[in-house]
Amino acid sequence: MASGGLTLRRYAAGRLLQAAPLLLGVVVVNFLLIALAPGDPVATLLGEYPAPPEYVARLRQEFGLDQPIPVRLALYVWNVARGNLGFSFAYRLPVAQLVVERLVNTFLLMATALTLAAALGVGLGVAAARRPGSGLDAASTGVSLAGYSIPDFWLAQLLVLLFAVALGWLPAQGIRSVREEYTGLAAALDVGRHLILPALALSFRYMALIARLTRASMLEAMSQDFILAARARGLPERLVLVQHGLRNAALPVVTVIGYNFAFVLAGSALVETVFGWPGVGRLLYDAILQRDTPVLLGILLMVSATVVVVNLLVDLLYAVLDPRVRY
Amino acid sequence: MAAAVGPGRGGSEFWRRFRASRPGVAGLGLVILLAATALAAPLVAPHDPHATSLVTLAAPGAPGHPLGTDNLGRDIASGVLWGSRASLVVGVCAAATAIFLGVVIGAVAGFYGGWVDALLSRVTELFQVIPRFVLALLVVALFGGGLGKLILVIGVLSWPQAARVVRGQFLALRGAAYVDAARVLGLRDTRIIFSEILPNVLAPVVVIASLDVAGAILLEASLGFFGLGDPNLISWGLMLNNAQAYLRQAWWMSVFPGLAISLAVLGFNLLGDGLNDAANPRLDA
Amino acid sequence: MTIRLLALVLTVLLTAATGAAAPAQPQSGGAAVVALGGDPETLNLGITTGYAVGAVAASIYSGLVWIDARGDFQPDLATAWTVSPDQLTYTFTLRQNVKWHDGRPFGAADVKYTMDEITGKHHGRFRTAYANFESVSVRSPTQVVIRLRRPYAPLLRLLTVFDSPILARHLYEGQDPTRSPRNNEPVGTGPFKFREWARGDRVVLERNPDYWNPVYLDRLIFRIIPNAALRVTALEVGEVDQVMDFYLPKTDVDRLRRNPAIRIRLGQPIPSMGFLFINTRRAPLDNVKVRQALAMAINRVQIVTQAMGNLARPARGPFGDGFRWAFSPEADYNRLYPLSVERANALLDEAGVLRGAGGERPVRLRLVYDSARAPLVAAAAIIRDNLRAVGITVELQPMDRAVMIERVYTRADYEITLQTFTSGGDPAIGYHRIYASAPPGTPFVNATGYSNAEVDRLLQQAAEVADQTARSRLYAEVGKILARDVPTLVLFDEIGVDAARTSLRGVWTGAEARDRWDAVWIQK
Repeated sequence: MASGGLTLRRYAAGRLLQAAPLLLGVVVVNFLLIALAPGDPVATLLGEYPAPPEYVARLRQEFGLDQPIPVRLALYVWNVARGNLGFSFAYRLPVAQLVVERLVNTFLLMATALTLAAALGVGLGVAAARRPGSGLDAASTGVSLAGYSIPDFWLAQLLVLLFAVALGWLPAQGIRSVREEYTGLAAALDVGRHLILPALALSFRYMALIARLTRASMLEAMSQDFILAARARGLPERLVLVQHGLRNAALPVVTVIGYNFAFVLAGSALVETVFGWPGVGRLLYDAILQRDTPVLLGILLMVSATVVVVNLLVDLLYAVLDPRVRY
Repeated sequence: MAAAVGPGRGGSEFWRRFRASRPGVAGLGLVILLAATALAAPLVAPHDPHATSLVTLAAPGAPGHPLGTDNLGRDIASGVLWGSRASLVVGVCAAATAIFLGVVIGAVAGFYGGWVDALLSRVTELFQVIPRFVLALLVVALFGGGLGKLILVIGVLSWPQAARVVRGQFLALRGAAYVDAARVLGLRDTRIIFSEILPNVLAPVVVIASLDVAGAILLEASLGFFGLGDPNLISWGLMLNNAQAYLRQAWWMSVFPGLAISLAVLGFNLLGDGLNDAANPRLDA
Repeated sequence: MTIRLLALVLTVLLTAATGAAAPAQPQSGGAAVVALGGDPETLNLGITTGYAVGAVAASIYSGLVWIDARGDFQPDLATAWTVSPDQLTYTFTLRQNVKWHDGRPFGAADVKYTMDEITGKHHGRFRTAYANFESVSVRSPTQVVIRLRRPYAPLLRLLTVFDSPILARHLYEGQDPTRSPRNNEPVGTGPFKFREWARGDRVVLERNPDYWNPVYLDRLIFRIIPNAALRVTALEVGEVDQVMDFYLPKTDVDRLRRNPAIRIRLGQPIPSMGFLFINTRRAPLDNVKVRQALAMAINRVQIVTQAMGNLARPARGPFGDGFRWAFSPEADYNRLYPLSVERANALLDEAGVLRGAGGERPVRLRLVYDSARAPLVAAAAIIRDNLRAVGITVELQPMDRAVMIERVYTRADYEITLQTFTSGGDPAIGYHRIYASAPPGTPFVNATGYSNAEVDRLLQQAAEVADQTARSRLYAEVGKILARDVPTLVLFDEIGVDAARTSLRGVWTGAEARDRWDAVWIQK
């Protein structure tokens, strides 16, 4: 057991080490992309009134834009290596602070959506697998197909239209009420109310994927010997389902969440726009418009790093859930 | 995940199994409908989709406007019909780009292995840690979003999946007896890759191609939703972007283009499922 | 107009009849929520002209003067001012016993420091005024004197909180004002103090009990709602109490007008216009007849109706009709360029741009615009449609603002472009730069390549003369030339519109909805 833990740890460390050149690649590619794109960050910052040339030159120098691109890139990489993501051109704040503030909100939305997707998807998949070919099964297949095909941002629009505008049950936008000053549980509930619609919109696609995979792996598992044996021993069907079937279903759920993490993040950017959710998606979009290079690179770097870490966690979880996997 | 039978060998068998797949047939039907719409748009659309008029925000069923009009009095039905063109062109061309890149890169990596494989795998990973949509958003926002650029960006960002599958297949097949035989006969590598091995891995590639079209249509729509697209074309995504501001007054501006996107994506997804059923008979639907 | 007057009379009669009270007594307490479209970049109003920054920071800082809803100057930090007969010396008497939010006393030295070191260097609009300054001097702790090198008619307008907010010298001295930590935790002399800023979500201010006027609201909250449609929804359901002009999608106003819980203010105290710039360096647009043809082919009324939700007036001349005194009937577009496909066609034929076999003329115009501005997106689609009717092909080129600036101003690589400009309160502040000759390359300055020595001379004079009648004459003269040459076609004069819930009282005493939140209170 101890040695197993050690190998796991060594494996994890190795993977993280491997990720370093990958992240360097992310930085270099995106830096060049932004540096070579048309649009001058200084011009966008100046506002709509002409500025004297010496003022423009001063700003350019302050942002390091007077240096040639390779020098800027080298400086940036050097700073990032020392843990410094730089200053935002537009907000004049440390990039790390800006991005983390927003990333927290995005993760809250993603975590809620994925939990929702896992709960509903597994439920639907198990229900469908219990009676293959039934009406419920067909319904679950239909939901799965819709989930894959309906754009999440459109679903978001429809949800706003129905639940916020027509019925008025839930807030249409934002992360919390601002007029009232809630604290403690009331504050959490308030955020919860604001979370429902965006989380639903974001979860639909992954719920569909999970339901489909759960159904397939349940069907496979339920036909295997140990399940048949459990049934033969007279274990109640419900218990068989939960104890043996679900353990097998856990794997596809972990897979879907893990390998789609990057996609969920991207979907979140779209859904955030519809609901005015103050996440990293909006920041990204604003940063593009303002040519706020440090913020853009900071977001891309932190997002990629998160994806690397999540992929690693998924692999580790896999090892725990599936005893056959060894490192 | 071995390719049991591909269209290259036993094509009629493949087709027979495809016809037996209900999702596949439904998907094919939708795709044909989409293609027919795209071809016939100028004939069946009641109006020029770009033409503005003073009949603004007319509800569905208004005279001459079965699906209503938008904020500039443009006909929604015509927009939905014409929009199929951009979706189909972007979807198919971007998927073709992705498949071409994926197949070449995957084949080379899988066939040669070694450092080529290692290098290509790193590049593939690079494309996987940054969400595809985020990168597409960045590139299109920075460099503009004409039709050609959209196709190129979506295509270039979508190749890793095909590459991974093709690489796997090539790794498995490069030691096969008939490949060795071809080597002994002194065939050139390109010949072995493209004439000998490739036909045997086409089945999964066709499945991925179909799913790639669906993904590309969705991605184009997402970019359009962000206002990044080519307004000289009619695009469902841009229609949705425009609808955002009129959600309360004119639900039809959002509902019909959204429905069209969903159906198009559904069609290619179902088609992919059907092709998969036909290619991998051991998995029943 | 008459209908509105009638409505007013009726309202007065009705309130009198029901005895529904003379202006109710302001009540203290509560929080007002104002919608913003995006985060302010900073809360230092002295270094930016950003709209969101002004919305928040106008309640934190004070200027020397403010402008009321009628357009008159009112005392803010300056209680009185005198202007010398030669228009070169302005003397301001400052309000006494004013304290910064951190408790330190405010004085004349703060005013001098702010103008010399912060707004004079970093504020886009104030910088243009400061360029005319000889000196700012402190005569006593409560007296400041501004001496000018040459007369500058719009000076007072540029002393409001939006153009030269007064910042605390003791907090900024010896620092780079663009990087001061105070920019995120501002300290001012205004009616509200800064409390918290959750980026992407909200900025919260609280009452300044030491303000010289009573302040009624406990808190003033700015809620960031990037989606325009959702801002209106939030107002309708009461999540938000006010949406200001800049953030209010005009096409929703019609619906808001029918909502009894919502009050609308129309009018544009600070005229702004929408323009079609025509790149006069490029053939065939270098031919004045082609430009005049565009003016007659483009349907300004359709743009106003559909792109602006009727909250604009079809433009009537190079300076619009927002400044009555600067409008001249001789430059009236309605007379010069009525909508006419026939006359536009005739002009194009005269210019030698003849229709080909397919009925299309050999002209392809790239129409460049900022893709984030919904009214411009709509106007672009209309213009394409309008010009197709006279055989001109338009290629829409939406792009983000950064690229647009580069394409239009730096490289002048476009044929026609949609732009909006605010006058800043005077044509000399906002509009001159559009028409006056200038070397290419400066953002938001003459992008059409139009250059006319006579126009330059007249504009220069108009900026320096203080007498309204004399200025009026000058604008009539220059307007006539510009209307004839159409280097830019003005499309519309915006009509500002602010919307607030009726429970919010005491709003809009200032020309700007962003101003004067001390007087606002909530009807319980």
